[in-house]
Amino acid sequence: MKLELGCIKIRDIMFADKSEIRDGILYVNAKELEQIVLEDEQISAVGFDIARPGESVRITPVKDVIQPRAKVEGGGDMFPGVVTKVATVGSGKTHVLDGAAVVTVGKIVGFQEGIIDMTGIGADYTPFSKTNNLVVDFSPKENLTAHEYEKAIRVAGLKVAYALGKLGVNHTPDETKVYEYSSIIEGSKLYPDLPRVGYVMMLQSQGLLHDTYVYGVDMKLSLTTMLSPTEVMDGAILSGNCVSACDKNTTYHHQNNPVIEDLFAEHGKTLNFAAMIITNENVFLADKERSSDWSAKLVDYLDLDGVIISQEGFGNPDTDLIMNCVKIEKTGTKTVIITDEYAGREGTSQSLADADPLADALVTAGNANQVITLPKIDRVIGTLDYTEKIAGGFAGSLEADGSITVEIQAITGATNELGFNHMSAR
Amino acid sequence: MELLITNNPLAKSMLNEKYEVIHINSDLVGVLIYCRNKIHEGHKLLTHPLSGSIKPNENPYKSVILSKKTKETDTQSVKIIEEAIITAKKFPKIHINPQYDEDYRMIDVSLVVRE
Amino acid sequence: MKKFRVVHYINQFYAGIGGEEFADYKPEIRDGFVGPGMALTGAFGDKAEIVSTIVCGDSYFNENLEEAKKTILDMVRSVNPDIFIAGPAFNAGRYGVACGTICETVQKELNIPVITGMFEENPGAEMFKDKMLIVATRDSAAGMRAAVPTMANLALKLLNKEPIGASIEEGYLPNGTRVNFFDKERGSRRAVDMLLNKMAGKPFTTEYPMPDFDRVEPSPAVKDIKSVTVALVTSGGIVPKGNPDRIESSSASKFGEYDITGVNDLTADTYETAHGGYDPVYANADADRVLPVDVMRDFEREGIIGKLYNKFYTTVGNGTSTKNSKAFAADFAQRLKNDNVQAVILTST
Repeated sequence: MKLELGCIKIRDIMFADKSEIRDGILYVNAKELEQIVLEDEQISAVGFDIARPGESVRITPVKDVIQPRAKVEGGGDMFPGVVTKVATVGSGKTHVLDGAAVVTVGKIVGFQEGIIDMTGIGADYTPFSKTNNLVVDFSPKENLTAHEYEKAIRVAGLKVAYALGKLGVNHTPDETKVYEYSSIIEGSKLYPDLPRVGYVMMLQSQGLLHDTYVYGVDMKLSLTTMLSPTEVMDGAILSGNCVSACDKNTTYHHQNNPVIEDLFAEHGKTLNFAAMIITNENVFLADKERSSDWSAKLVDYLDLDGVIISQEGFGNPDTDLIMNCVKIEKTGTKTVIITDEYAGREGTSQSLADADPLADALVTAGNANQVITLPKIDRVIGTLDYTEKIAGGFAGSLEADGSITVEIQAITGATNELGFNHMSAR
Repeated sequence: MELLITNNPLAKSMLNEKYEVIHINSDLVGVLIYCRNKIHEGHKLLTHPLSGSIKPNENPYKSVILSKKTKETDTQSVKIIEEAIITAKKFPKIHINPQYDEDYRMIDVSLVVRE
Repeated sequence: MKKFRVVHYINQFYAGIGGEEFADYKPEIRDGFVGPGMALTGAFGDKAEIVSTIVCGDSYFNENLEEAKKTILDMVRSVNPDIFIAGPAFNAGRYGVACGTICETVQKELNIPVITGMFEENPGAEMFKDKMLIVATRDSAAGMRAAVPTMANLALKLLNKEPIGASIEEGYLPNGTRVNFFDKERGSRRAVDMLLNKMAGKPFTTEYPMPDFDRVEPSPAVKDIKSVTVALVTSGGIVPKGNPDRIESSSASKFGEYDITGVNDLTADTYETAHGGYDPVYANADADRVLPVDVMRDFEREGIIGKLYNKFYTTVGNGTSTKNSKAFAADFAQRLKNDNVQAVILTST
């Protein structure tokens, strides 16, 4: 399977009468996008705003971040099984609006998550302070259940990103990256002397606001399975996870999965990137046992020498992580796990809710309880009404001068457990 | 019948027929400690007590499903519940807005309902 | 600008007095820097100066602990410094323990910042790394050149009340307090590199060491408890009244072995606890509460057990290092085996 990612660099977003990309600027006709969103009768109104790197803007509460992409060649289309029909993606050509992102905000339930600051110290902790963001703010029809509303805005955000992505289909990319992924047998023949490496990706799958969709399938209903890493770049994995802003994987994170990128960077040189396995993080312990059994079985069956395991979310996924790690280590396959820590504001509490001596190679994305004060910002997109309720915010966290004292767990993507960021802890 | 240990009135009303519901009038840590005691009596954890990624100091409601009583204490359940209690206790108390009580209850239930 | 005032603590060896044969050297205070203090002075530039150096023999310090602590504390107090620096001790065990001990005392009594340096395997490192900043050094004095600037830099940060970064950035021994920092590489890249090393059998360093698991497989059950000798062992600090062996109330360096032949009950007049980590009132009123000699005697009489062993072993578990605890247990376990004791009841607090 070979996928070419053509990156069209976007250096700004502006509202205009005609939606198009010109000279690296993404022009957006908000009326057109509004019509696309309002096709869903469950959404009563939608607003658009733009937030650029360096601007004194705070976006909150963030639901999802999506990178506009569209297929140019190859089977299937972007966000298969949700926005487009079910068909295998991951080959051919895909165009990416690199430097742009769709950020969805809105109230689903009373407590809300996720801050993106475009400037100041908060900007250092979120990758989305570096993208030009089209912010989409939804209002639901009355009497919608939380489940219905969650689904409506999740899908609407993807549709907006898809519509923007299609604007780049006829453009010549500024840069093209090629990812080639072989079959198991072929890969072994190509790289007989390189260690066979896999990626075991754990996906949040616990219930309302805690779900992930793979080709439209709710991952909590799936057994551990496999796909090609290039499928992930084409939107095969989509976020329905609205909690724990710091360590949830937004759709943007899935599209730009850094473990996949960095394994591809070494593929054929120091290792053979042989397989990608996706597994879930269910609440029922029997599910955890079954899914981690399955991860280990697949790793063993595929005869992998080493795997990287990434986690998503806080708390009980620590148990899945350790189960996966221990069971895979016991097959004789080496593991490195990526997680984050909740070591308390002082940094002295126990970091993880589970542990095992076999988990001897751990990469940490940092302590999510670290407290910082975000300065006053000129403009808020969304609302600060829920700030006190944001994860890691606390009573009185919104100061009279407009500054907010929070744990970094309130910041979208701050301690992402795919290893998206440079932050670590010792 | 399996047990549902909860401080969530919604869990009680929704899952009353499926489980033997024990409603505890306490905070989240109190529910976990109650579960720990039941585990030592021979009940096994069926759901992870740190269900959800919402932090233990953000949602006051907690529902945990335990097995019927068995003859032995399940060591894995002991380990998980103890770790969960340690984890829950390390989060400082924060103000929880009662205005969103219904939301808190609904999220808690959604995490232990298999659809 | 005013220079910060530094007092530097070193042992007899680094003061140029001599090696092991001079380890009984009593504390003395000298003006200015001595030995490694010269390099520290250089590293401080015009920001700080060593106003006095205190020299003490390692044996003297460790064998006359209370006396040494008091004398040195008075010396430090007399020159009114802004910071106290000890060592670095590299892998010298008693020097390391002395550096840690005196730093802890000065920090507590004079309420000024302290810093020392050691090799990670120095026993003083495990004892004190969570109580003060200990700069990570090599295992011998060959590491002096690298250690000095790190110590000076951290000392100045403490003096200026600047935030201290993560251990890996600042060069101190990880102390269990997790501090965030921005690494050169992103997490995924670090994971790939770690995996490549792990698969190749090359050294790699986890970013979060798992909590120390020291699981002990339980021994098979005693078949017939009615016929065996059972011993009592405690980390609850129960000792004969007056604590004859002076077992420390915390960070114990020894255990006690006491004969209980003919003793049927531990009373407030005969036994007490040496433990400083819990409220001693109930243990002192009736030490059986921690070391149940009375109940064991009942069992003995009733034939529930064969016999209560005529000695008990005791130490204080309060902050006592795992290494010391293991050494104690290895010692008395052998004695128990020699006397054919087949079961032990361990009580803690």
